[in-house]
This record gives sequence, structure tokens and C-alpha cells, in this order.
Amino acid sequence: MSNLAAERAARTDGRATLLRTLDVLSMPALAMFLGFLGGAIIIWITSGSLETVGAAYAGLINGAFFKQRGFSETLVAMTPYVFLGLGLAIGFKAGLFNIGVEGQFYIGAISAVWAGVAFPGLPAIIHLPLVILAGALGGALWAGIPGFLKARTGAHEVITTMMMNYIAFRLAEFVVSLPLRDPLSTAVQTLRVSPNAELWSLWQIPERLADPLNALGVALFCALCAFVIVRWLAPHARRVVVGGIVFATGAIAFIALPPLVKVWWLFDDQYDRLHIGIILALVAAAVVWWLMYKTTLGFEMRTVGANPNAARYAGINISRNIIVTMAISGALAGIAGTIEVLGVSICRCLPLFFSSGYGFDSIALALLAKNNPIGIVGGAFLWGAMRNGADLMELNSGVSKYIISLIQGLVLLFVAAPAVVRYLLRMRAPSKTEAEAPLTRGWG
Amino acid sequence: MPPALQATGITKRFPGVLANDHVDFDLQSGEIHGLLGENGAGKSTLMNILYGLYQPDEGTISIVGTPTRFSSPHDAIAQGIGMVHQHFMLVPPLTVTENIILGQESLQPATQFLGQLSALDRRSAAQRIRELSHQYRLDVDPDAHVKDLPVGAQQRVEIVKALYRRAEILILDEPTAVLTPQEADELFVIMRELVKQGKSIVFITHKLREMFAVTDRISVMRGGKMVGTTTPKQATSEMLAEMMVGRQVILQIDKQAAQPGDVILRVGNLQVQDDRHATTVHDVSFEVRAGEILGIAGVQGNGQRELVEALTGLRPVSGGHVALLDHDTTHATPRQITEFGTGHVPEDRHKHGLVLTFPVRDNLVLCTYYESPFARGVEIDEAHIENEAQKLVKEFDIRTPSTGTLVGSLSGGNQQKVIVARELDRPVKLLIVNQPTRGLDVGSIEFIHRRIVEARDRHTAVLLVSAELDEIMSLSDRIAVMYKGRILDTLNAPDATREQLGLLMAGVKGGAHV
Repeated sequence: MSNLAAERAARTDGRATLLRTLDVLSMPALAMFLGFLGGAIIIWITSGSLETVGAAYAGLINGAFFKQRGFSETLVAMTPYVFLGLGLAIGFKAGLFNIGVEGQFYIGAISAVWAGVAFPGLPAIIHLPLVILAGALGGALWAGIPGFLKARTGAHEVITTMMMNYIAFRLAEFVVSLPLRDPLSTAVQTLRVSPNAELWSLWQIPERLADPLNALGVALFCALCAFVIVRWLAPHARRVVVGGIVFATGAIAFIALPPLVKVWWLFDDQYDRLHIGIILALVAAAVVWWLMYKTTLGFEMRTVGANPNAARYAGINISRNIIVTMAISGALAGIAGTIEVLGVSICRCLPLFFSSGYGFDSIALALLAKNNPIGIVGGAFLWGAMRNGADLMELNSGVSKYIISLIQGLVLLFVAAPAVVRYLLRMRAPSKTEAEAPLTRGWG
Repeated sequence: MPPALQATGITKRFPGVLANDHVDFDLQSGEIHGLLGENGAGKSTLMNILYGLYQPDEGTISIVGTPTRFSSPHDAIAQGIGMVHQHFMLVPPLTVTENIILGQESLQPATQFLGQLSALDRRSAAQRIRELSHQYRLDVDPDAHVKDLPVGAQQRVEIVKALYRRAEILILDEPTAVLTPQEADELFVIMRELVKQGKSIVFITHKLREMFAVTDRISVMRGGKMVGTTTPKQATSEMLAEMMVGRQVILQIDKQAAQPGDVILRVGNLQVQDDRHATTVHDVSFEVRAGEILGIAGVQGNGQRELVEALTGLRPVSGGHVALLDHDTTHATPRQITEFGTGHVPEDRHKHGLVLTFPVRDNLVLCTYYESPFARGVEIDEAHIENEAQKLVKEFDIRTPSTGTLVGSLSGGNQQKVIVARELDRPVKLLIVNQPTRGLDVGSIEFIHRRIVEARDRHTAVLLVSAELDEIMSLSDRIAVMYKGRILDTLNAPDATREQLGLLMAGVKGGAHV
């Protein structure tokens, strides 16, 4: 091979990188744009006036960001989307289409309610992690079964997870109506979880932190974050230094935070539902990113997803990988369910007809974000905003809020079919070597 | 008389690449014109332009002196150009006749008014195929099912298909890649017969020997340009290789006699099944010793793939045993086999060898990513992987803009170097290489061959599987020939002749067909 060819390779590489970046950033943005454009056309056709289009989108934006508590509600709606989107993305990266996140979301909610009801009197520092763990385990188990079936018999996960969804829905109805039913309530719903198992709303933080045990929990969390950040910024720092910084952070958080939030805390609106789940969601996105790109397990998962034959050749245990990936995916979905029950539902319990629809929306979200954890946080924000703004849109313009699903569907269509977007916008196709990675493989 | 086909000043640009740069090419009527060049030299682009698959950005094509333009292969076929692709375009369950008339069905006159529902006129088609087969001595039975035909016969069906469409000019794209040496010789006889009866042939190959065996003229392309045209009488192998690569190339590997040591791999009575549970490796036994290269020769599809997959743990063994050093690895996993000290260069670098959407550096640690120093606990150590990648890129001369470049955007030769680098960098005791140079350019072949011999000289046991007889003969110390899942014979490389091996590859042993 001549130098010329190397130069040519260099040029194509530069080009490929550019295209890749463009693809990662611009295609979802263009798909969003086209999705909203399509939505506008449909509103225009069905209502017959352009003004309705304006009123609808103005209402959407208003409802999502500017009305009272609009922005917090967007963040509340965004939280489960982050977890579910991450769960789906992990599956997609490993070549698995976990269409059953909705069911795992339910099972996570049930498990969390059970753990929240079964151990009254535990302090929050133990109980809160315990319920989240229970939700994660429930979801992991529910997704692990289809994973096991696929690894063992080759049963396709799209079919099995979908069937597991229905089992989960009926199981949830059973649990709500019989074993965990609140006998004192007129509504059919489960018992209320222990207050120590609730996810803290932001306005509650000063009073929560007044309890030294809770302050200790927060301090430990801060210390852990400090440890991760120091390790990341200075990987070769001496142990003493790292230990010192971590200890200092924890100590300062423990001593200074409770009095500080007591005098200075912006969130005092008791009707504001924003809760600490959003922080957990951001942490989860960071952890998933680390897992996918910085660990041997992530390397294995991505290899299995990109080329299972090469993975086998490289000695990777594909069966184990399928089960582990499904379990992690399900665990994230389970945490999403946990957070909905413990942080958002008014009764801090699981009601009958607890229908979320979050799981199915998240499939489009993961595709929009191209399975990139950072993209998922951004996409979840948009999805949350749309879900949250839809009500005001309907109120202001009379356009059904289900137009949101339609827009999301269009976005998904444009994301899944980049060729359509390129054609519509007259863009040039990327080179052959940059073939689109399939989001998931066929029914084989 | 004007040439049968003349292309002048053909230029074709792809984004970032000038695939054909003012290429002139002419094919005289009644000649066999060989076209030689490395992968990426622009041969395929030129042929695809002549066959109407691509439109040139500049330049003209004329057929027997008349300028013409092809907007699709359909136009090219109508102008009498036929192409036999390297991968046959045949439908296995259909008969030869059905395959040949596919897309050009003639209808029985009595039913033509039914339009799409009219009955096919198979009989007159079969009759014409029989005539063509007889006229050009192609020996094609129109009623046979394609799936029952050997590869050589399938290729003749492709030729008949082109002739049936009244091709005057045939483009044969690497036609010998799938044939035994004897079958290739038969093909050359047919090619001679075709030109004798007035057809003209463009013959594409990368095997220099074949250029001398059959062509009237030889053209060489390099880097999108036509380097020159010569005749077999004037040319030498060294000269053609130099024209192809642009520098001097050592065609014959210099190697010392082997100094075999202990037995590293011992295979006894091995039986392996393919995906359809048919036994494709029968009762195979052999040994490979440290410091020797055992070559397994044979036409593709005689059980070599299943044999290698069984030895490397990718396919279950249904009988017999495999021992690596002192370990029984009959039912070991791929990772165990790797960890006992095996390197494996797989047959299909895209299917097994590489993750094309991963960067070069990740592909270089594909089998060792979990071991120190590339991983610390559960975490990947990117700095160490990067160091290793830099080292290997330099040591194995992998031409890549950076270690972060996606492997899929490298040339085939460099992709193969990534695999060879990865598999040879470990302290391997046994190296299994399957078709290590398929589709590579002369320069990369030379490089990879040298590395394999160096590994042997470092006392590695090497099992080389290849369908290229030249490769087997120039590298191996001993040669085993596989035919229909069995090892017919094992010869000492210095005593083996091409004819002897060719007969064994065709299943003939001691004068009798097995």
C-alpha cells in the first residue's frame, strides 16, 4: 500500500469522523424538526387553521416550561424516561430489543411498594436504598427471564418480553387488589409505603436533613461523588490525597448542609412534585456511560451487539452476556417504576389502573438518542416537556394531547429511516464504510 | 478493424477517492485481455463502468468503433457485453434452463395472450442452451438442477447465460478463485475455444501464473491509473508484480528447513458436523509440531472451515479428540483454547475476525481486553490499550490514520494485518491461520507470509489452511490435502508437485477416484 493510499485513508477517516459527529448530533435534531413539522401539518389539516397550530405549539411550550411549576413538572416527567431510555439503550447496544420495559417498570413498582410496606420503622438511610434495590431486583428478574430463555432456547426477546408485559400488568392488578391492598381506602390501591421509604420531594429537604441519620446518608452520597470525580480528574493521585478530599467533602456535607438548607432553600412550594429522583437519574446516566464504555463488561456487551460472531471468536460468553444485559436493562426499568411510586404518586402507593405508557415512549426515545446516555438525558428532557405541556396545549387550542404521540411517532420514523430524512432534506448519504449500524437484529 | 471494445479517458470519482483516473483500455476482437491489479486499484470500477453499473464522470466507450453510453447493465447486455461475477448469480434449486432464462423468459406462442400468466417456453430455451453448450464445448446439461452441479459446472452455466444473451464480449471477474488447478486449466481451454469462435474476453485475476497461461495481452492497473500493457512473451512475473505494487516484490518466500520440535496439536479421528448436521469432517487425524507449518490444501468447502472451527472451540466436536500441548481441548471453549496459547486468524475477517464498527485499538485487544494490563478489575485501561495499539501499528505496518479509526474503513490488507498483529503479539504456541491472504494485494500477502514464517522460526506450531495452492506450496513444510472431509494424503512439501496436489484436491489418489 502506498503513501497515497494512507493519505486517502486519512482523508476518509476525517470525513468519517465528521459525518459521524454530524450524524450523532444533527440527525436526531432534524428528525425532531421534521416530527414537529409533520405534527403542525396534521393539526393544520384537521383543524383547518394555521392559528390553531400556533396556539397548540405555544400552549405546549407554555405548559412545559412557563406555567406555574411547569418546569419542575417537566423534570418530574423526564425522570422515568431517563431510566427507561438507559435500559433500552443498554439492550440495543448489546443487540437486544427489550420491548418489555413497561412490564419491568410495573414489577419494579410492585417490588418497591412491598419493600416499602414490609419494613416499617427502618431509618431512611437504610430503607430508601433498600426499596430502590428491591425495585431494581424486581425489574432485573422480570427481564432476566426472557434473557435466560433467549440464551437457553433462542426464544426471541421481543416476543417473550412483550408476553411478560401482560403477565406483569395482571400481576400488578392482583397485588393491588389482594395481598397489598389498603383495607381502609375506598380506592383500590396498595398500602402506603413507610415515610422513610419515600423519595424526598425537593421542598422536604430542609426538614429531612434535620434528621442526622438522613444528613449522614447525604454526606456519604456526596463523599462517593467526590471520590468518583477525583479519580476521574486525577487518576494517579495518591491514596492519602484522595482519601482526604473524600473525607473532607463528606464531613463538610454532614456538618454544613443541614443548617445551610434550613436558612437558604429555594424550594418551599409544597405542591411542587419535583423530587431527588432527577439527581439519581443523572447519576444513573453517568454510571451507564461508564459501564458501557469504560468496563470490560461494557466492551463485551458492545462486541456482542456489534458482531456476535466476533464476540464468540474472542471468547466472550454470549449466553451469560444476554442474561446480564437483560437484567441490567430490567433493573433500570424497575428503578423507574420505583421512583414513580415513591416520589410521584400522590398516595405513595400503587393504585389500580396505574398506567404509565412511559415504557413504550422510551423505545422511541432510545432510538432518537442513538443509545447514547448523554443523548438520552437530553431526549428525556424533550419527552418530559412534551408529556407535561400536552395538557395546556389541549386546553388552549382544543388539539388533542394525543398529537404528542403522533409527533413522537413521526420522530421515531425519521430516526429509524435516515434515508427518508436525507431525501427530504436533500442530504448526501454517508460513505459505504459508514454503514448505519442496525439498531437491532431481525427475528433470527 | 476497430477494437471490439474501447474505453478512452475513463474517469470516475467517488467521495474522497479517484477510482479511475483517465483510464484507457481496449479489447481487440478475438483476444483474451488480462487485467491485473491489487485490490482498490480500480479494476472493479472500470469493469462496472463497462458493464453499465456505474456511469463514468469523463471518458467515452465505443463498441466496434461506435460510441455508446450505458445507463444500466441492461444496455450493456443489449450491446453484447456479458459478465461472469466472482460470486455466481444463480438460484440453486432451479434448473440450468430456468436460471439462464430468468429475466428473459420466452413464452409459448399459444398462450401469449394471457400476458403475465402465459406458459414459459422452456423447451426451445433448453434446445438453444444445448446448442450453445455443444458449439463452445461447455458440457452444460440444461435440465440439471444448479444445486447438484460442481462449482466448475456452475461457472460454465454462468458463461452459457452470458452467451444465451448473445454476448460477444465476456468479462470474467476472478473466475479461478473457486476452482481447483485442474478445473482452472479446463476453464482456460474453454476460454481459448470461445475466442477461437470470435468472442473477446476480459480476464481479471490476481494470480500471475494464470496471466501467462491464457492471455494474449496483459494490462496492469495501480491506484486508479492504467500503468501499462504488455504481452505474456515480453513480461516476467517480477515485472508484473512490480507494476502492480510500484516497487520490487519478493515473490518467493525465503525460508530455512523446518526444525520440528514437540507435538503441540494432536488431532485424532475428529468428526465434525456442519450447521445442517451433516458430517463434513470424517475421521481426521494429524499432528502439528513446534516449529513447522502444516498446510491443509483443498478446494473450498471440503470441510476445512468446520475443521478449524472445531479446533478453535467455535463448533462442537461430534467425535474423536483434540489435544493442545497436554490439555484435552476437544470440548473446550474458545477462551480456554486461546488461553492455552492458540492464535487464530479466522477465514472470514469480517464475520469473525473484526468488529468493523470498533476502532483499530479495540480490535487489537479483542481477545485480551479482560487481562492485565488492558483491564484493572472491571475497568478498561485505555492508556495501556492505546500504547499497545501504537506499538502494534508500528510493528506490523498497519496503515491507518490513527488507532481510533474504525477498522471497517481500512483496506482489506490492513484489516488483515490488524488480525495478524493481534494473534501473533501474544506468546502463542499454536497458530491457526485460515485463508490468511484471501483478497489481499501482493504487498500485504508478502508481509503476512513473512510473519507466518517468522512465527514458525520462533518455534510456534502453525496450521495453515488455504485454498490457494501457491500459498500452501510456498509456506508449508508438510501438506495435507482435504477432500470431502477427509485427509486424503500428507506429503512433504519439498517433494510435492502442483499436479500431484491438484489430483488429490480433485479426489484422485493412486490413479483412482475416491
